[in-house]
Amino acid sequence: MANNVYALIDCNNFFVSCERLFRPDLEGKPVVVLSSNDGCVVARSNEAKRLGIPMGAPAFKWREVFRRERVTTFSGNFGIYGDVSKRITSLLTTVTPRIEIYSVDESFLDISSLELTDYAAWGRAVRASVLKHVGVPVSIGVAPSKTLAKLASEIGKTQERYDGVFSFFGLSEEERHTALNSVPVGDVWGVGWRLAPRLKAEGVSTAWALSQLRPQYAQSLMGIHGRQLVSELNGTACHGLTREHASAKSIMRSRTFGEDTQEAHILESAIASMAARAAYQLRHEQLLARRIGFFTNTNRHKPGYRRWAPEIALHQPTNDTGLITTLLVEELGKIFNRSQKYHRLGVFLYDLIPENALQTDVFGLVDTAGHDRSAARMQALDVINAKHGKGKIYYAAERLGTAWQPKHQIRSPEYLTNWDELPEARLR
Amino acid sequence: MEEANVPTGVSIHTGFPNPAADSSLHGLDLHKLLVQHSASTYLFRVRGNEWENAGVFDGDIAIVDRALDPRRSDVVLWWDENRGEFAITLYTKMPPQAACWGVVTASIHEFRKITHNQGRGSKRGQ
Repeated sequence: MANNVYALIDCNNFFVSCERLFRPDLEGKPVVVLSSNDGCVVARSNEAKRLGIPMGAPAFKWREVFRRERVTTFSGNFGIYGDVSKRITSLLTTVTPRIEIYSVDESFLDISSLELTDYAAWGRAVRASVLKHVGVPVSIGVAPSKTLAKLASEIGKTQERYDGVFSFFGLSEEERHTALNSVPVGDVWGVGWRLAPRLKAEGVSTAWALSQLRPQYAQSLMGIHGRQLVSELNGTACHGLTREHASAKSIMRSRTFGEDTQEAHILESAIASMAARAAYQLRHEQLLARRIGFFTNTNRHKPGYRRWAPEIALHQPTNDTGLITTLLVEELGKIFNRSQKYHRLGVFLYDLIPENALQTDVFGLVDTAGHDRSAARMQALDVINAKHGKGKIYYAAERLGTAWQPKHQIRSPEYLTNWDELPEARLR
Repeated sequence: MEEANVPTGVSIHTGFPNPAADSSLHGLDLHKLLVQHSASTYLFRVRGNEWENAGVFDGDIAIVDRALDPRRSDVVLWWDENRGEFAITLYTKMPPQAACWGVVTASIHEFRKITHNQGRGSKRGQ
């Protein structure tokens, strides 16, 4: 078998880089992007990281620092980020069609078949090309496994002398040791916050130490996943590219209310709206949910924090917006208490099965006629919304109250998705 | 359409040729004309009346390609640090300390406003 060569292309502080594309004046200055309800920090420039602003920091706690340190804050403008992400993907696809879009800001390339001798030089060329063409900086890691490629891109990003590109090919044993030793075990892809403390308790604190575990021992600590991790860190690929992302196992849509609410109709409206979006996604992926539920909670940062999360098992799997809304609003009636100040609400659909699984229901437990009626209604709704713009037709409960809708006070213009908000340039 | 079998196993159409099978006969695509590199082409709204003699008006759309290296005769877009705005000039008139953001390859002037009416609708569609 041919040797595996994977590259990870990782956009640095992606959302911040996108905002800077049309605001070159913010280069070298602290910038943060907040989640769409302005609740917490979802991206930070290096300057903002140096100020000690953590990922996920609640904005209201850091407002004073933002003001004092002149941190520019943006509400997430996901239209821009999505468009820039697509541009990067289309550029990378010209390098090789063997691409896995891992997330909005990360893609794996399988470059085994490219006849290259110097992978670091190749990485530098790709990095320069993305920066010139699309206008955002990326880090690139090249290695014989995906886990190592991810680690390499992290080294390229954080260790200045590599200037954004690191390759595990052509290293001496000592260089490989130094590189793996520089990465804390918790930063290894697939270790995460739950496994890291257990590994540290075993004296495994770096990627190098993890790579030196005996496969059996790793398996006893972390299951088969641990054994694969050790192999991948030693340059034996266990995971190939995932070409098509597997269908979602669960779907969740949630929002923080613009201001805390004690009104039942606002909660109902939020349920209806979140249910509409979640169910749309379900239909889009041709799935049905067997369990549905919602959660709502008071402000976690205020005294008397409470959370409720009722759920329902359905006899009849569904993706019907109306049915899901009706059932969840009924559940809301059971837990609603006017004395509580509700802060956040989310609808979740899980235990998902493919729509066509219904047709093979050999036990006849399913009301297929009822399902077909519901499917026809949902198809009509999706077709109308696709034709006339999202939200043209909606369940009345969705618009009972709009106080829950996110605040977008500091969103940048929709430079890439709205003719009326194109960036401006002065003729001289 | 009839087909004649030839010994090599290749089939030959003997009927009237299907015009759509010839890619050179596809309809003209304005996007292909105006956008050479879709990953690196960005649109800007131009402001100012300085270029009316050159046929560029306030409110026109500039098509800007970042992939191109500017040549002497090019029109370029660059960030003006002093005024805090994007500027469009001839490449030869760009200040030496400024960095070229992209090459302006074309401008679109709408005699009857098309894009204005599309407004938000264009975004909702997806």
